[in-house]
Amino acid sequence: MAPVQSDADLLAAFAGGDRGAALTLTQRLTPRVMGQAYRMLGNRTEAEDVTQDAMMRLWKIAPDWDADRAQVTTWLYRVVANLCTDRLRKSGRGVALDAIEEPADGAQSAADNMQDTARTQALHSALADLPDRQAQAVALRHLEELGNPEIATIMDTNVRTVESLIARGKRALIAKLSGRKEELGYEDDNR
Amino acid sequence: MTTDDKMLEAAFAQARTPDIMPSEAALDRIMMDADSVLAEAAPVASRPKQGFGALILEAIGGWPSFSGLAAATVAGLWIGVSPPAALTDLSAGIWGATIEVPLLESDMFAGLEG
Repeated sequence: MAPVQSDADLLAAFAGGDRGAALTLTQRLTPRVMGQAYRMLGNRTEAEDVTQDAMMRLWKIAPDWDADRAQVTTWLYRVVANLCTDRLRKSGRGVALDAIEEPADGAQSAADNMQDTARTQALHSALADLPDRQAQAVALRHLEELGNPEIATIMDTNVRTVESLIARGKRALIAKLSGRKEELGYEDDNR
Repeated sequence: MTTDDKMLEAAFAQARTPDIMPSEAALDRIMMDADSVLAEAAPVASRPKQGFGALILEAIGGWPSFSGLAAATVAGLWIGVSPPAALTDLSAGIWGATIEVPLLESDMFAGLEG
């Protein structure tokens, strides 16, 4: 059985003209890239656009990639986080309510689905209102569930700064969501 | 954990959806992008190294231009060595007279004779 090639090796092969390496990287990396974008934006179409944009940046940087400096996945986390906050800031809004997709879980009642949709939309709107660095740090910690040292590497800063960004971001999110507790059904939520 | 913290954690938990495979159309677009980047890079990467002569040949327009240039050069040389009478008469008409300029002094070899 052939050894699994690293992302960096595949990227080097692509830079040397190997189309198959691009196909392998696409299949290997895009589900996580798309997942990160979707968790941050809450919209599949926008998440696909971000995924395509991030992969295009990867193809373009391939000839200059320095495997000693960074991991491909770390670099992609940063690129996707930046692309998502750019989209949120440029559009000047959270994702529209009708753009949030309904959960596919058929076991939930329609009322629960509506409430889940409203809550997800509220979170994305609140994230969109945060300063970019706070939104990125909070998303990497609480949506991607990464550790603070890894987030510090992704954001090219230190752990103390990451802790501070996350703390301030969460306080701002609570301030924005607490005013909508009743509307979002958090007051009597026992789920 | 405060109520607010619980509320926020519930919101995060709800947004933590699994990774998603992009649609076939999106994957096709991503590979088309990869192909376009490869196509842009290919001419530079695969172009063979050229010698000086080949570069000159390319600069003047390739072998057809070289053939024309060679023919013109031979014709010019022949006209210079053996100009047609009509051309001699024409130059005399334009300049008024035909003069001959000796390349060597006429008596340079005088001392060498007999």
